[in-house]
Amino acid sequence: MAEDSEWVVESIAGYLGSPEWVIPVTDFMEHKCSVFDDEEENKLTYTEIHQQYKQLVEKLLESYMQEVGISEQQFVEACSSPFAKSKTLQTLFQPVLATDDFQMFRSLMVQKNVELQLQALRVIKERNGALPECLTDGVDVMSELEQREMQILQEVLKRSKEEYELEMARREQFEEAVGSTSACFHERPLRNGIGPQAPARATVPPSNGLSNINGTSSKKEGKAGDLKSTVPGSTEQTPGKISDKPSEKGTKTLPAVRAPVKGSASQPVPKEKISNQAAESWLEEARKEAGISKPFKELSVAQQEQLQQRAEYLRQQRDKLQAMKKEQKAKPVSAEEPLAAPTPTPATQEISVEEKKKLQKRKHLAEKLKEEVIKK
Amino acid sequence: MGEVQKGLFSVIEKLKGTTEQELRIVLLGLDNAGKTTLLKQLASEDVNTITPTQGFNIKSVTCHGMKLNVWDIGGQRKIRPFWKKYLENTDLLIYVIDSADKKRFEETGLELSELIDEENLKGVPVLIFANKQDLATASPASEIAEGLNLHTYRDREWQIQACSAVSGEGVQDGMNWISNNIVNKKK
Repeated sequence: MAEDSEWVVESIAGYLGSPEWVIPVTDFMEHKCSVFDDEEENKLTYTEIHQQYKQLVEKLLESYMQEVGISEQQFVEACSSPFAKSKTLQTLFQPVLATDDFQMFRSLMVQKNVELQLQALRVIKERNGALPECLTDGVDVMSELEQREMQILQEVLKRSKEEYELEMARREQFEEAVGSTSACFHERPLRNGIGPQAPARATVPPSNGLSNINGTSSKKEGKAGDLKSTVPGSTEQTPGKISDKPSEKGTKTLPAVRAPVKGSASQPVPKEKISNQAAESWLEEARKEAGISKPFKELSVAQQEQLQQRAEYLRQQRDKLQAMKKEQKAKPVSAEEPLAAPTPTPATQEISVEEKKKLQKRKHLAEKLKEEVIKK
Repeated sequence: MGEVQKGLFSVIEKLKGTTEQELRIVLLGLDNAGKTTLLKQLASEDVNTITPTQGFNIKSVTCHGMKLNVWDIGGQRKIRPFWKKYLENTDLLIYVIDSADKKRFEETGLELSELIDEENLKGVPVLIFANKQDLATASPASEIAEGLNLHTYRDREWQIQACSAVSGEGVQDGMNWISNNIVNKKK
């Protein structure tokens, strides 16, 4: 008889863990819990809902007992057995006990309501990035948001700094290679404090043969500047939108990175014109830079030589700039991609090497086996 | 069907595993009679911040080793129709009267007699608190008992107790009656 009651209890416990029970009961709770708050006074509707809950549980339990063939007698005996009063079964039976215990029912419903509210808050947060102001009265929430905002700002600053430093390093390499240094390289980028192309523009004043390049580079600079000013700016206005979706931020930077490349499409056009015209303009440029007002031909030999050198340097620089742009064109996407792109190639090579080794080993094995078989 | 239900839920009651016996007490009466104040007094809570009850309150009080679950349901006219939903399985009815509100003695008497006739309260003992005895205009409990025709109740035990829920005076006497007449019998 004891075994019998144990089977009955186990069967019911199993039922209470099954979807046939859990789904309708949870469904009911989720639908009805919204009126349950944690005020001390109970609303009259609580009783009505409790009554409905009783009916639901009754219906479910009865139909299950009928289906499985547990008689009421068996159920009574099973439930009065000590086995049914164990801790684990007690928690499992809680939703059933709640039919008889209003206080328990109430606390289950209040708990469910709080759960759903938290869930809703989470959903709102995920959808809008941030909670509407009316829902954030806690300082914690705000400081959390601010922290995230700061993290993104720092990330943006870090990236732009890295870009800038990379560019500066390239510049320095140039200058060392050429051997001549001009103060404006160090000054201007610092003053502008912006992207990598700033120095390029600085060396090329307007109204010469290179106005095209100049135009594109300044366009670049403008866009780069826009990017940097809009990103922190927009974080201030709609902090969540960016803070919650780093991917979106990523796409935002994309056009900015790509833009200069597109701009440089106009590059080849001046290249054709350049040949003679440009050579003169290099000299002109160098002359202006040196602060010499006389035309080139009227200068002394030493001065002419100096200017030639300078013109040569400028030409080199322009070529390098174009080469760099070509490079960028080849890898037009975000800054992260060039980092990620190179890795796969060696990886595949490694794999192929490994595979080759494996294949060799297999061949070796096969040959050995062959030999052994043949010998036998 | 009805029998099956009763069986199921009596079993569920057993499932609770509490060895402690419980009493279900319903606390009723007209609005402003002092039901919630009495409830809070029973639970030894602050009685100074009580507002009219729109729904109901529940408190559990231990009395002589027995758990008393006291249900205090709002007494406003529009709520009274809901009273009967709370009467099932009730072990004791506590009815509270504002002893100083003579104008509504008739009204409160009518409500009480309706309750007494309720099927669910058949044979259920009644404790009547003649509340607000701290007010100078309060009628004595004996007078109220007479007005309510309590002496005609033959089918149940009853008691009327003068008290002041605000000061707590007389409340304990009422509880003693409960423990002597109901709790001890249930055990």
